[in-house]
Formats: sequence, C-alpha cells, structure tokens
Amino acid sequence: MGSKIPRTARLAVIVTMTAALGLAAACGGGAATEPAKNQASGDPASPVTVKFWSWVPNIQKAVDAFNASHPGIKVDLETITAGPDGGYAKMLAGVKAGNAPDVAQVGYDSLPSFLVNGALEDITQYAGDKASTFVDWQWQTGVFGGKVYAIPQASGPMGLYYRKDLFDKWGIEAPKTWDDFAAAAATIRKKDKDAYISTFAANQAPWLISLAQQAGQGWFSTENDAWKVTIDNPDTRRVAEYWQKMLDGKLVKTEADMSNAWYRDLQTGSIVGWIGGSWGDAIIRGNAPKTSGKWAVAPIPQWPGADKFTSASWAGGSSSAVLKGTKHAAEATTFAVWLNSAPESVNILLSAGYGWPSIKDTSQIANLQKDDTVFPFYGGQNIWDVFKEADAAVDSDWRWPPVSDALYASITDNAKAAVQGEGTLVDAFAKTQQAMVEQLKAKGLNVTTGG
Amino acid sequence: MVRRIRPATVVVMALLGAAAVYFLLPVVWVLVAATKSSADLFGTFGLWSPEPQLGTNLGRLFGTGDGLFGRWIVNSFLYAGIGALAATLLSAGAGYAMAKYPFRGREALFNLVLAGVLVPSTVLALPTYLIFSEVGITGTFWSVLLPGIVSPFGVYLARIHATAAIPDALLESARLDGAGEYRIFFGIAMKIMSPALVTIFLFQFIGVWNNYFLPLVMLSDQRLYPVTLGLAQWNSQTFRDPAFYELTVTGAAVSALLLVLTMASLQRFWRAGLTAGSVKG
Amino acid sequence: MAGVLQRETPKAGAEAVGHARPRHPRRSRSHVAVFVAPFFVVFALFFLAPIGYAVYQSFFKLTSSGLGLTEPTLDFAGLDNYTAALTSPAFLGSIGRVLLFSLIEVPVMVVCALTLALLLDSARARFRAFFRVSFFLPYGVPGVIASLLWGFLYVPQTSPLVDALALVGLPHDFLGPGTILLAIANISTWQFAGYNMLVLIAGLQAIPQELYEAARVDGATEIRIAWHVKIPLVRAPLVLITVFTLIGTLQLFVEPLVLKPLTTAISSDYTPNLAAYNQAFAQSNIHLASAEATLIAIMSFVISFGFLRLVNRKGKRAW
Repeated sequence: MGSKIPRTARLAVIVTMTAALGLAAACGGGAATEPAKNQASGDPASPVTVKFWSWVPNIQKAVDAFNASHPGIKVDLETITAGPDGGYAKMLAGVKAGNAPDVAQVGYDSLPSFLVNGALEDITQYAGDKASTFVDWQWQTGVFGGKVYAIPQASGPMGLYYRKDLFDKWGIEAPKTWDDFAAAAATIRKKDKDAYISTFAANQAPWLISLAQQAGQGWFSTENDAWKVTIDNPDTRRVAEYWQKMLDGKLVKTEADMSNAWYRDLQTGSIVGWIGGSWGDAIIRGNAPKTSGKWAVAPIPQWPGADKFTSASWAGGSSSAVLKGTKHAAEATTFAVWLNSAPESVNILLSAGYGWPSIKDTSQIANLQKDDTVFPFYGGQNIWDVFKEADAAVDSDWRWPPVSDALYASITDNAKAAVQGEGTLVDAFAKTQQAMVEQLKAKGLNVTTGG
Repeated sequence: MVRRIRPATVVVMALLGAAAVYFLLPVVWVLVAATKSSADLFGTFGLWSPEPQLGTNLGRLFGTGDGLFGRWIVNSFLYAGIGALAATLLSAGAGYAMAKYPFRGREALFNLVLAGVLVPSTVLALPTYLIFSEVGITGTFWSVLLPGIVSPFGVYLARIHATAAIPDALLESARLDGAGEYRIFFGIAMKIMSPALVTIFLFQFIGVWNNYFLPLVMLSDQRLYPVTLGLAQWNSQTFRDPAFYELTVTGAAVSALLLVLTMASLQRFWRAGLTAGSVKG
Repeated sequence: MAGVLQRETPKAGAEAVGHARPRHPRRSRSHVAVFVAPFFVVFALFFLAPIGYAVYQSFFKLTSSGLGLTEPTLDFAGLDNYTAALTSPAFLGSIGRVLLFSLIEVPVMVVCALTLALLLDSARARFRAFFRVSFFLPYGVPGVIASLLWGFLYVPQTSPLVDALALVGLPHDFLGPGTILLAIANISTWQFAGYNMLVLIAGLQAIPQELYEAARVDGATEIRIAWHVKIPLVRAPLVLITVFTLIGTLQLFVEPLVLKPLTTAISSDYTPNLAAYNQAFAQSNIHLASAEATLIAIMSFVISFGFLRLVNRKGKRAW
C-alpha cells in the first residue's frame, strides 16, 4: 500500500501544526489577557465554524440557541448514529483520517478509550477554570492526569421505578434495602403468578455495572504506571451472589430489558419495577402510557450496614469531547461549556430526555422544579428529588477502563451464559476480570489485579 | 370449456397456498404495525390494530426533520438505481468479453473476480473510508454511489450467461455482415443477455439498497442518508424517546412497500426476458 | 488463495476458449480492453484496494504503553492478529457454529427453492404470477428490517405465531439456546427462498417444451418428469444457488446482530462476521478485525471451491 506512508506523514504534519497552533494560542492567551479571555468568542464578521457530531434527539434546538447568541462562532450539527452502534468507530476513523469534527458526543465510559486511541484534545487552558460549575464526579470523568479533555453533559443516576398501585394493593412498602427488595420480590410472586418485581437484564452491561458500582468497590483504577483491575472484588461478589439467589429462587424474570417483551410486560403489569436511570421515565411513559398515575420512584435499595447512602449512574453519562486535530479548540470549548451549562441549553437537553444535568446549580432549570408532563404520570411525585439525591451520591472515584466496549461485550456474554445455567454470576464477573486483563495487556498497557 | 379439477391440482394449490401464507404473513404484520402507536405495538395482537392511526404515523413520518424521510427514499433510489445501472453495464461488458474473446490473463482475472464475491463486505467499509478520505470524498454522495457500481457477481453471471446463450456462429455471421464489435455487443449480445442483465440489476439494486455499513461510515450529513441508515438511526433513538418506534416501523413498512412495487414492476421485464420463446400452458 | 484458483484454470480455460477462437486474428483487439477495462478499473479502486488495505492492516497493531495516556504507536505485528484470532475459543466456536448452520440451512434452502420452483412450473399450478410475486416479495425487505420483523414474531409477548403454536401444543420457544439457530435459518429461508426459486424457474423455462411432451406421451407422471427430466436439467442453477447460500451462511451476520438484544442466546461473537464487526466497530480494533475478515474470506473460499470441486468431479462441469 503505497498510500500509507504519505498519509501518515501528512497526518503527522497536521498534528504538529495543530499542536503548534494550540501552543501559540496558549501563549497569546496566557500572556496578553486574563484567563476569562480564554473563552473564545470569535469575530462576528467572519465566524469560525465548529463541527459538532451528536445523536441526541432535538439537540439542534440547543445548537440554534448557541448560534443565535454567539455571532462569532457557527456550530454545524451533524446527527450521527449512536456511539456504540458505529458512531464512535466513525469518530475514531475521522481522527485517523484527519477529518473528524471539532466537538463530539462521547459517553463517560468511552472517554478513556478515546484517550488511549489518541483522539482527544487537551483543553485544560480553555476549560480549566470551569470545574466548579459542574458536579464533581461528572467533571472528573473528563479529566485524565490532571488535564481536561471533555465537558460533562448529563448522567443517569439510578432509582427504583415501581407500580405504586400494585405495591399498595399487595401491602408492600417501597424496598429500602436489598433484603427488602428480595422480600418484596418473593411476596409479589406469591400474590400474582404472572408478576415479577423486575427482570434480571443480563443483556444490559451498564445496568449490571451500576449495580456493582453502587455496592462499593470500583472495578478499575490506576496505580503508579498501571491499570489495576478489581472486578472480582468482595463487594461485586456480594452483588453477584445476591442476584444468583434471586435467579435460583425464580424471583426475577430473565428477559432482556428495553426489548419488545419487556415493554409489553410493563404495560400488562407482568413486570412491576425497574432499577433504571433518570432518563428512564420517558421510556416508561412512552411505552406504557395507559399506566399513567400508577408509578412512583424510590431511591435505589441500599446494602445493609452501609454507612452512607450510595447510588450509581447508568454507563456514567455523556460528555461533549473536543477531538484531536481540531483547529478551533478554543471555540469548540466555548461551545461545549455553553451547551452543557447555560440554563437555556440544559433545559432543552433535559426535555429531550437526555438525562440528569451535569451542572451543580440546577435552580435555573425550570423543568426540574415542576414538570407537567412527567409528574402526573408518577401520581404527582416530584421524581427529580429522588434523582438529585442519587446523582449526589455517585462515587467520584469510579473509573472507566480504556476498553469499556470490550467490558460491555464480555460482561453481557458471561452474564447471559450464567443465566442460561453455565456457571454462576460470581464466575461471570471473575471471567470478565480475566478477559479485561487480557484486553489491556493486548493493547500494551501495564496491568495489575486486585480484589 | 370447463376443466376438471384433479386431485393433483388440489395438492399443488394447497402447497402453494401454504407457502404464500408463510411468505406473506410477516409482510401483513408489518403493514398492520405501521398503523399502531408505540404502546399498541407492544401491547396488542400483532395482526390487528384496535386504534389504527396510519394517518398520524404517516404525517409524522414525512413531517419529521423537514421531510427527511422523503429525502432518504429519494437518496436510496438514486444510490441503488444509478449504482445498479452502472454495475450492470460494466458487468455486461466485462462478462461478455471474458466469455467471447480469449485474451492473456483472462482466467486469472476471472478468478480474482470470483474471489471478490467471497470477501465479507461489512469489514471493507472502514478501509474504504480511510482510502476515500485520502481523496477527500468522504461525506459526499459519491462516497456511497461509487462502491455500488462494482458487482463481481454480475461479471460472473454475465460471463456464464454469455457463454451459454450467445452462439458463436451468430457473432461470426454478424461480423461477416460487417458489424463492428461494439455494434454486435450493444445490438445483439446485450439483447440476448437481457435476462441475466435484469438479474444483475436486481441483485445489485437490492444489495445497494440494503447496504448499511458503507453509508454509516461514509456519511455524516443526514440529508444524504439512504433509508436503511436513516431508519436504523431512528431506531437507535427509541432508547430515549419511544415515539421513534412509530417512525421506525412505519418507515420500514413504507420503504419495503416501495421497494416491492419497484421489484414487481421490474419483474415484468424479467419475466418477459425469461419466457420469450417458450409458451407454457 | 490465488494458487487454488490457478489450478482450476486450465480446464475452465480450455472449455471456454474451445470454439470461441476468432477467425480473424488480425482484427484490432482494442475493443476487448474497452469492454473489460472499465469494470476492472472500478473493481481495483473500490474492491481490491480496500481488501489490500485490510490485509495490510491485519499485519499491524496499535500498542500503547503504561497507562496509555500518550498516543499509541503502530507496530508491525507479523501474524500476531491471526494467531490471536485462531487461538481464541470464542472465534473458533463461532466458526463451528456457522459450519453447523450451513449444514442445516443449505439443504433446507435448496429443497425449499426447488420444491417451490417445481410446483410453480408444474402444469397443475394456477395464479402463477400471484404466487411468484408473493414468494419473491420478502427478498425486497432489507435484512435489517426482516430480522426486526421476525424478532417481533418470535417474542412471546408480541407474537400471534407463538400464541397459535402454544395453543396447539407445539414447541414455541424460538429464542432459546437450542432453537435460536433454527430461528435464524427461518429468517434466511424466508428472505431468500423466493429469489433462489426465481433462479431455478429461469432454468426450468429454458428447457424446451418438447422434452416434456415426449415424456408425457410416454405416460410419465408429473412427479416422474420433475425428478427425471427437470431436476437434471437445472443442475447448473442448482449448483449456483447452493454455492451462494453456502457463502451467505458462512458470512451470517445481520440476523444475529438484530436478534441479539432480544435473547440471551446470542453473544457478541456468535458468528465470525459478527466477531469481526464487533472488533472493528465496537472495540475499534481494526487490525484484529481485518485479520478475522481475511480468515472468513479464506474459509468461504476453501469451502465453496471445495464444494464446486466435489460437484464437478462427480458429474460434468456445472459452471
């Protein structure tokens, strides 16, 4: 392939050039003006064009609002396929080929693999002073080695959605602990032979991971110059044993969540609960509209003996990352910060169902105070109070690995096998740890394990 | 004259009828589903729509995003139609020449073409993207159209058909009559090969229409999407907004229906080509 | 790859050239290039170049170091990616699975297509056009949509089919680990049987009617005619659809991809093609993906050419 060499060479030139430009901009910005000036606003006469890739429904409205209020920068939105369905592959290929967008939608769980693929731009100098605007754990997902690479957008703090009418009818309280949850599950099986408290969604890696995240010890961390893998740890084993018992006792269904079957079961009351992310309200409302007014949301059940309330976030959440090779890192950052923190934009994203905002101060977000499409469905409950508390209780030490796609594939494959009766869930997590160690090693990274 | 119905006829018709039910049932299902709301889609019997809202669904389908769906349909027809037409012509030329003119390296080339049929196209999408971005045509109409004009299967089929169906004597006599090679090809060979050419066109048309990964990696402007990619993208948004189920299913029904109508109209061609010269009772 | 092909050539060459030798060797031969070149130019650009690039990629791998916070380096890996693929139990398992799938699906498909073709071609059939279009219709439904659709029909909660089967006491768990392969086979059969049937009908209609008349005059039944006259005469199209079904089954991809979210029985490397897709699109490892894709191509190649050799040895050349 003769084309290979010139292409790499050209890429190298582009990379060096952008690096040099970035450096010049940094020097100029730092020397001549105060930090606030780092927020590039561009020249209205000849606006800088920033290309933005996202798959969030209706995000165009937020982009339009930005363009209207920032005459010096013109953001071009291109709606792409969701990251895990090929969007990420496209972004990485774009970076490789030198025609990636300036800003892209990247999940918290995928930022490390983007970093390891050399696809993120260091925007510390433009965004470093924004940390205090955002919820700490969400901000930290875009920070590696003290450098900022992405601006957090939204998370999916977990709560327990349940059919309050049926729980009341059967005389069950919303479970506060996992023991309560198991007891409630058993009662439901006795009261109605067709009903289950929930499904065990072996297909849903982010769900399985959240359960483990909530239980305590993390799965990945960095120690010296190595990734430490601790999936097979006592807290996760406790989660595995718990759900294995639920499976053995046939206290939960085993169908896939967010599947045809599951939607149907939500409608018919065959499944009366779901431990899901904050954005899940739209899924229940949209797929089971006839159950309006019958649902409620409770905090995620707690492990007995926990010293403080803990929660987790479904697949972390999603960020606006600035991609390597951009010629407008400053403008790109200005846009990313505005998109995810300006009350006008956050309101739009929230009503598009994109999850819990990443900003600390949500007092300006009208829909969080009162939402006439959401609250009536939950019998008038302000469900956002539950998720606000949950988002504040997410562990800020949780780290995603640079191989989260492999993690997702591996954990669902192993959990599916366990549900089919090949080994137990405890084995499934142990096998996943083994697979992750091999994955990281294959990439040439340093790996240690613990547990 | 009234024909007597014989037991054999009953058996044949019963078998054909059962097969028709098997092939048509899912199509009926999707047409029914297109009239449902997302909730009814999961909550009601598959072959009956209690509260049909076809009008609402169609309105939303063609209204969303300034008529994006309409554009996708047009794009698909352009990608598949132009691509298949060009592929058919190129394959016809190559296949005919390989059947009728011996030349050095002919068999090696033919084997290369055959090997091309065996390569899984899914994985070719990314390398093609990297090569195209060298030339700077990623994200354009051309990036999806151009790969669609290659049909190794078409060359294979054209060669087999030309070898079997075009008598050498016919070519010889045409030459003796003073016809040039190009006139022979366009005036005689193409006509004889027409059933094969319709097959190639059909095959390639469907192949391009169904291609998902190539446009997925090539395109980022929604207005250039073919309908499969657009529907897949809507489908991936059902995760956050269940109303997209209605759009996806209704869109699938409409696009399948359009494609079937296209096929049915082409089928007349292809039957004409086939049955020419043989009268059946 | 080329080696195996070359060995086939003398036979094919000799036969094809046979009587086609031109009687006017001094005529200009530029037209041959005009006919052949356009295809091969685009073939080289849009087919061979990406293949070459993929094969080239398969010999490299990205290596990071330490925590991976610095940009990874692209290193020559020799056959490492191939060894990795061929020593992975999951990838080998997926190969075994598609081989099993081929064993089921190919005979089913050929028998279905042939039966339908013979029924439609029989003198007893009425409403031919209606049936032909009905059988062919699924071919016009894109694979992704076909699988989505059958997905709905397989899931107990949404399927009239499952209700009906349960009612008469037939097995109706389509998405269990034991039946999922059959569920996939059903989708492929539904989609492509009509197309293959048309290929066979084309062959049947090319048979001169006099042959049937002669047989009928001799008192042969329709079934005997079908078996002794029609089938032997459509041998070439039969071999053709067999080979294409074989290749299609070995490269099985869309159906399991779409059914995956509906069942616990399909893993992310259920078939070789799915494994390669997963490496390329989900895990961004285009190098391992390219190696796996190359292996899939080689496998399809060896098996389909092996089959053709077998067929050709047993009888006269079919193609």
